[in-house]
Amino acid sequence: MRSHRLGVPMSITRISGVKILGLASAVPAQVRTLADDADVYGSNDVIKVSDSTGVKRRHIAPQDLCTSDLCYAAAERLLSEANIPRDSIDTLIFVSQTPDFILPATSCTLQSRLGLSTDCAAFDVGLGCSGYVYGLWLAANLIAANSSRRLLLMVGDTINKLAAPQDRSVSLLFGDAGTATLLEKSENEVPMTFVLGTDGAGYNNLIVPAGACRNPSNESTRTRIARESGNLRSDEDLFMNGAEIFSFTLDRVAPLIKTVLERSAWTAEDVDYFVFHQANKFILTHLAKRMKLPPEKVPIALEKYGNTSSASIPLTMTASLLEQLKRDRLKLVLAGFGVGYSWGAAAFDCGPLIMPDLIVVPEEKVRERSSL
Amino acid sequence: MTKQQFLALFEDVLEIEEGSLKGDEDLISLDGWDSLAVVTFIAMVDEHFEIAVSPAKIAKSRKVSDLITLLGDKITA
Repeated sequence: MRSHRLGVPMSITRISGVKILGLASAVPAQVRTLADDADVYGSNDVIKVSDSTGVKRRHIAPQDLCTSDLCYAAAERLLSEANIPRDSIDTLIFVSQTPDFILPATSCTLQSRLGLSTDCAAFDVGLGCSGYVYGLWLAANLIAANSSRRLLLMVGDTINKLAAPQDRSVSLLFGDAGTATLLEKSENEVPMTFVLGTDGAGYNNLIVPAGACRNPSNESTRTRIARESGNLRSDEDLFMNGAEIFSFTLDRVAPLIKTVLERSAWTAEDVDYFVFHQANKFILTHLAKRMKLPPEKVPIALEKYGNTSSASIPLTMTASLLEQLKRDRLKLVLAGFGVGYSWGAAAFDCGPLIMPDLIVVPEEKVRERSSL
Repeated sequence: MTKQQFLALFEDVLEIEEGSLKGDEDLISLDGWDSLAVVTFIAMVDEHFEIAVSPAKIAKSRKVSDLITLLGDKITA
């Protein structure tokens, strides 16, 4: 039996002088409901999975709609509502596990599509569940170091493009979404606290095993074969070991929250909302119970959106906390954990924010100012 | 916790009738023992005993009694 390891050293940062200006989230128009899934998999299986995951519907990007398109739609709306001159953005970070291309970086194409200055720095970050927290950490560090004054953080995923349609272990869980967050330098901001960590020993519990450089694509890696419980999956499809990931979550998340609260000199009572990566409802309610967090402080949005990977934290802020974030100054704790294994928590004050309503991107590909 | 109390909790995990388990059944023969049940079992152990039971060790378990063994001295006869 493993014991819970408290006191393991973690990457811990406190950063001042950074302000979150606003946040927007976009989802594709196409929705799959439980009834749609039941038509394919049979309602017994679907209801059983849904009872556990908590997912009742999700937005699915059609083939020609990519993560970048969703993030682009979110950024366009946010920039318009924030009334920000585009050339004032000096840095663009794109966080995703579903980029447009193996290369070039999707952030480069987004610089061009958004009409940002060519003096803008842009780069991609290949993280999922922990991606939004890492993105905020990167943004805050760059701004605090005066490497950036105003930064656009675009975070999203279209994991359904990686899931084999006849693999029930992954095909009923994920939703697609893209988000955009604006951050800038500010003199009067209280510190943000970040706690980050990594354990690559868990790398193969949530993985697309083939198709990149380690196991290049070939006819065999592309062939879908029957796996556990009759699930059909190839080595170029997403594999997820639910039990191992659940076990990892139980090991790491409670100590992570404890540390970020301690370093912020906050108690759970001080916090307005804990916005967790929306892995599945079973994990979230179990964690909230174990950490004794009141349910009203732990928003759960995955019922309507599924697990949207890196987008799940900002999407939950749009979906569940829109009015509060537009109106109030809130103490938030965010926590992302999963693929990698990678994890991160952030604790900070924010708001009132510029928070556009949820953007729904219609079937036709987003083409404005885009050459893709 | 006694073995009987554990079996009652395990029956909940499997969503089967109370009192139906003797404790020596092959896991593979139990209808409710699927990937979701494994996760529910891990959660149940975490909640009731505050210990982390390894998914790899669960995968190696053949009988209900093997799962009880994983919990060591937390389960009395």
